[in-house]
This record gives sequence, structure tokens and C-alpha cells, in this order.
Amino acid sequence: MRLTEDEIYRSSTQFRLWSFTPGPLASLRATTNSTATQRVKAAVKRLRESRTQSETNSEAENGTSTPVNFNREPDCLTTEEEMKVVEAFCERAIKLGEFLKFPSNVTATGVQYIRRFYLFNSPMTYEPKSIMISALFLANKIEDNKMECSDYANSIPGTTKEQVLAPEFLITQALRFTFDIRHPFRGLQGGHMEMLAIAQGKAAVLPYVERTAGELQQEMLKLPILPGGVATKMSQHQVENRLLAATDKAKHTLRSSAIQSDAYFLYTPSQIWLAAYLLADEVLALFYLSTKFPSTIDAETPTGIAKLKVVATVRACASVLAPDPALQKLSNAERDAMVKQEVNAVKAILVKLRHCQDPDKMDLVKLNKAQKRDAGAEGKLEESVAKRRKLEREKNEKEADEFWGPELPKNGKKA
Amino acid sequence: MALSPLDSPKPVPVAAKTLPAKAKALTILNASTSSPSTASTPSSDGAQDLSEKLNEQVRRKYVTGSKLGEGTYAIVYSGHIRNDPTSLVAIKKLKVNKDYPDGLAPDAFREVRALQELSHPNIIKLYAVFSTRDQNLNIVLEHLPRGDLESLMQDKKVSYGPADVKAWTNMLAKAVWFCHENSILHRDIKGNNLLIAADGEVKLADFGLARTFSDPYRPMTYNVITRFYRPPELLYGARHYGGAVDVWSMACVVAELILRHFFLPSNTDIEQIDAITDVFGSCTEDVWPGVSRLDHYIPPAKGNIKRPKPMIYWKQQFGMLGDEGIEFLKTMFVLDPRKRATARQVLNHPYWKSNPKPTPKELLPRAGGGVEKMAEDLKRRGGEIEEKDGRADKVARKLNFADLKR
Repeated sequence: MRLTEDEIYRSSTQFRLWSFTPGPLASLRATTNSTATQRVKAAVKRLRESRTQSETNSEAENGTSTPVNFNREPDCLTTEEEMKVVEAFCERAIKLGEFLKFPSNVTATGVQYIRRFYLFNSPMTYEPKSIMISALFLANKIEDNKMECSDYANSIPGTTKEQVLAPEFLITQALRFTFDIRHPFRGLQGGHMEMLAIAQGKAAVLPYVERTAGELQQEMLKLPILPGGVATKMSQHQVENRLLAATDKAKHTLRSSAIQSDAYFLYTPSQIWLAAYLLADEVLALFYLSTKFPSTIDAETPTGIAKLKVVATVRACASVLAPDPALQKLSNAERDAMVKQEVNAVKAILVKLRHCQDPDKMDLVKLNKAQKRDAGAEGKLEESVAKRRKLEREKNEKEADEFWGPELPKNGKKA
Repeated sequence: MALSPLDSPKPVPVAAKTLPAKAKALTILNASTSSPSTASTPSSDGAQDLSEKLNEQVRRKYVTGSKLGEGTYAIVYSGHIRNDPTSLVAIKKLKVNKDYPDGLAPDAFREVRALQELSHPNIIKLYAVFSTRDQNLNIVLEHLPRGDLESLMQDKKVSYGPADVKAWTNMLAKAVWFCHENSILHRDIKGNNLLIAADGEVKLADFGLARTFSDPYRPMTYNVITRFYRPPELLYGARHYGGAVDVWSMACVVAELILRHFFLPSNTDIEQIDAITDVFGSCTEDVWPGVSRLDHYIPPAKGNIKRPKPMIYWKQQFGMLGDEGIEFLKTMFVLDPRKRATARQVLNHPYWKSNPKPTPKELLPRAGGGVEKMAEDLKRRGGEIEEKDGRADKVARKLNFADLKR
């Protein structure tokens, strides 16, 4: 009895609800953007109307602290600008996770929550800083990383526990109550161990590969450094170091660009770690893939086609993870300038965002309280019910205590 | 939105005995039976978030019916799909946990997280999750009206034989295997978490303590699994463990099915260790290398090393299983978790191929009593559940070191 990894992954919510092809992903974001835009405009219009009314009432009130300028149509963010904002806050989440020394899967889960949240919600509706902080806390809860909320809030300047918890419900709803995130970290670790075994000549070779563990080891020792390069003759120790270096580099990619990009929406965890490995050491990655297929295959056969498809998919995923190639060609100074430019661009968008934030959803703590108050009013109506329950519960507790105790239980009372 | 409810069972409506069993362990207040039609969150401008809309769609799909039971942690209602009143579901409405100050309680998340990922005939199905206005989570679960294995085991009016035990054990083993294949530890396997569907299928439920396998070197809590079913490594405070903990609990359930009473009952953790070592012998470095390094390990007093019970004991107690069955049971009851059978090995055991063949699920014995009995059971169960499954018991007690010194 054994399930294949594919079968397991296909039954996951990450695959069923949170995997997309690029087209639908883009159109989902466009819908979210237009809904939010309409909402902001409607809310501002409403406020403006009530404002003009109150102004006619009391002539005064000129300069207000409200950032939204009610006198003209708000200038809303575009979908691209929204994405830039979300990415900026994902980056902050990663930094916060590093600062608080969260395990990498906690931070990665938190970042995915932020990204998933903003597929269905716009930063114009829900202010990204609060969502970021709350999502990261939620990730701690889900990934079983012990963290008291008050400690967490205290370690972030200007944040209260209330603020951390207020958007929690919003987030769980936006996540469609699916919390499990499949990460590529463990896959990378497994692949590393497999490759280490090959280097040591101890590989468990798949039956159809038609090569022995020793042959695979010899092949690995001769692998060129760069694709298309000349064969080398490394010692086992050198290859082991090469593996370690590649895994470290891939790990870094998984902790940064993999969680900051759309990779999780578009690819599977194994595609992602292989892509990260490809960026770290292309020759090794392709060699590793080749050990999963028969050594001689005809490109026309189904197996051959499958192999080409796997490699093509991994390469496509790598292009999502890779740093911009244009950026790499530049000199250091030029690159710094570009980074700076990018930072300024994000700053400008954040300023713009402040002017088109949905005024209805500005204060999440208040909003959350209001919602609970509503529910509370409902609850009060049933005070007698609550009281009866309390008595019942106390009785149950008492009976429970007696269950193993010296006294005989007063059975039958409840029935 | 999880799964299509098309394949939902169509049991007798009133036969809602099971789900109150789910009414366990949560908190209080707010018992408003939400009528789905009025539940829309009022939004000042009428526009809704996309996620609010999705939630609304799910909520509209189900009708919440009468209350089946209530625990500290949830209220359970019967319900059905709006346009198909015959397709019954159980709706578990989580209460706000007052003891947990940091937002929504982690056990709710654990349960939802695990069940969203698991789809297997022997695991309770989660059809959907939605929220109501008061920000409570409502979990729509499979309707399982035929009680649980614990009540069946205790119901002296029901008689069953080795073929029936084999059938139940097999369904349990498949459920545990599937969890482990999906890298999920259940951590609370016991008879009353094994519910029975209308067609006799056994379903593993209550994933409030479940979690995914930890990464190597990352510690987990040993404070899990109801005491009678807790394996020795957790009693000794192991913080790194795997599927073996669930296998031990599974073995306890099988043993109880044979004995028709609790196999290893005790009042404290210390007594639990005694109960285990009385049957399986003392935990020493010889039988379990490394055991003495566990945090709460207590070496047996010199000259007081217990020996495991001889084969004759097993034949007397568990003769119903046959020789192969006893061997099978003992592979799951190995003290050293590394030598204990894995869920996969359990399913590959020759026991399944030997005679008798497992009873087909339609022919399995059922708990007696008609609808009235069922309703009566329901009422009483509430109290019983509080006793055995209340939070107090789940948050297992730590070892009492004062006792140890004496």
C-alpha cells in the first residue's frame, strides 16, 4: 500500500483551490482590483455627500486629518501597483520572520497567506501592514510554533495584541478555510540526500534506469561545472562540497524568491525545488532528473515526451524564480541605482495607496469589535439559555470529577 | 467548498447518535442557531469582498437543523443540503474558546487543516467550512448516525466475532495508514473517535490534536493522546516521534474490541506506565535502546524488572484473534517505537489474508435500540462526553514529580 506523491498532492487544497494557470490568476486579480476600486469610489462619494451636507450645516471644517481627498475622484491603484505593494509587504514579512527567528516554514506559510489573501482582497480595502502582521501570527499557530500573541505584538513596535488578532477572521475567510501549505523545503532536503547517496555510490537506483549505483557515482564525479562544459574529474569529497553549495544556494532561493513570486500558485513543490536547484547548479539538477528516467530513451516515446515536459516545466518555473536577467548584466552601481529606483517607486505607490484606502475598512480593530458587538447583542437575547447551559456544564463537570473518584456516580440523573 | 456532497450518505434522519460525540471539547456561549437565509453580513454599501461572496455561497448551500448535542468546544446540529433534504450532514459550530486568548483556537485550525486535506472512505469527510455573522466557524461534516466503536464494544447486547473485529480493525488501519501517507499524525485515536456510518463503515474523526509530521530536530509536545491509548514514549516525554504513536493507540482499540473493556486503564500517567509494563515488561535499555535518555524516564527498581506476559496470557485474553491475529497485535504493541510496526506494515500483515475473512460492512453488527433508545443515548452522551473527552482530559496531565520521589 503506497500512494504516489502525485496522488497525495492532487488531493491537497493547494492543488485543488490554490493552483492556477497564468490567465485565470491574472483575471482573478483584475476582478479583485475592479471590485475594490468601485467600492472605494462609492465609499468616498458617500462620505463626500455627507460631508457637503454637514458643511452646509456648519460652514466650518476645512482642513481635516482624513487622508482621503473628498473633492475629487480617488486615484485608485492598478492591478500592477497592488502586486507591487503585496510584494513589498511579503518582503517585510520575511524580514520580520528573520528578525523574530521563525523557522523558515512558518515565515513561508505566512507569506503565502498574505499572497493568497490578496488574490481575493485588494490592499486598497485592507491595509497590508495589519494583514501582514496578523497573517504571520496565524502561520505560527498553524505550523505549531509556540508564540504568545502578546510577546509577538510586543516585539513589533507600535502594534498591540488587538491589532494582531483583529484581522485573523478576515484572513481565515479569505483563505477559504484552507490552511495547509505544501512547501518545497523538505523535497529539497530529500533530493540533497539522494544526490549525496549517488556521490557515495550508495544510491537506490530505480529498476528501469539500467545503471548501477557505481556507474551513477562515476558519472557524477565527471560532471562538468557549467552546462556544455568539459568533463571534470572530481573526488567524492569535492562533489559532496559541490552538492552542499548547490543545496545552500537553492535553499536561499526557496526562502526568498520562491515565496515572493507566483511560484506556489503556478507550480508544484517538487517543480519549485528542482527549479531552485537548477538555478543553483544546472548540471547537477539535470543529472538528478536523468537518474529518474531510463538512460536511453527515444524522444518520441511517451517516456521521452514526459522527460522533455518535466525539464521544460522546471525551466519555466526557474524563470519565475530567477532574478531579472537584465539586472544581472548591470554593474554594481547601476544595480544599486535600479534597486533604489524600485524602492522609491514602491514608496510612491504606498503614498498613493494612502489616498485611496477604503474609508470603511480603515480601522480593522473597530470593525472587528463592531462585528462581535452585533453577535453579542444576539447572544444577550439568550441569556437565560446561556445560564441554563452554564448550570448544565457545571453539573457535567461535577459528574465527570466523580467518575473515577471514590464516590459512586449519581448515574441516571442526566438521562 | 471542499468536496462535492453528492456522495453524501442518506441515513435515517433521527438516528443522529454519533455526532453528539463530536459535540465534545470546546467552549461556551453563543448558541444562536443561525438561519442561513438571514446570515448575510451587512455591508454598508452592499458590495462584498470576493471571499465574503464565496463564504455566502457555501453557507447558503446548507440548512442548519436541530441541535444534536453540545460540548465545551462545539455545538453540533443536524443539517442538510438546501435543495436535497435527504442528504444529511452534521454541522459543527465551534464556540469561542474563552481559555484561549490569542484569537481562534488552535485545535479548530488543526481539525480544519487536517480534514481539508484528507479524503478517504475511513476518515470523516469535511464537506465545507463557512462562517456565520458572529465569526464562528461552522464545519460541515459527514453524518455518521451509528454510534462509535467504544459504545459498541461496551454494549453487552451486541455480540460480534473475529470476522467483525477484523473488518473494523481493517477500516481503522486504512484510516491511520492514509493519515500517515499524507504526513499527518492523528494523536488521539480511541474508540469514541471512531464513528460508524449508516452503511457500517468506520470513520476516524476528531482531528483536534492532529498535526503534520515535524521536520527532523523540531520538537513536538508529548502531551497528546488520551491516556489509556498513550504509547510509552509519550509517557516518558519524547519530543520527537512519528506514526508509531498512532499505531500504539490503534492496537489499544483492537485489544479493547476483543476484551470488551478498556485494555490499559489507569488514573494517572504513572499508573499508565505501570499498566503498560505489567503486560509488556519493563522498559529497559535492553528492549528499547535509548529509552533511558527520554526526559521523564524512570528506571525500574533493581530486582524489580518486570517480564512481559507469556504467550499463554495472550492466548487466554486474545484467543479470538487466532495465532496470526495475536502475532499481528503484538507487532503493534512493541515498546520501542522504532521496532513497532508502521501503518504500512500493519496493512501488509498476513493476518488480513488468513481466515476468517473480514465481515462485509453491511453485515457488521450494530448497536441495538430503536430511535427512542438512540435519542436517550444522545441526551446521556452529553454528560459522558464531558467526562471522558472534555478539554481537561485532552490536555493531558504532566508527570507528577512529587510522586516520583516517593
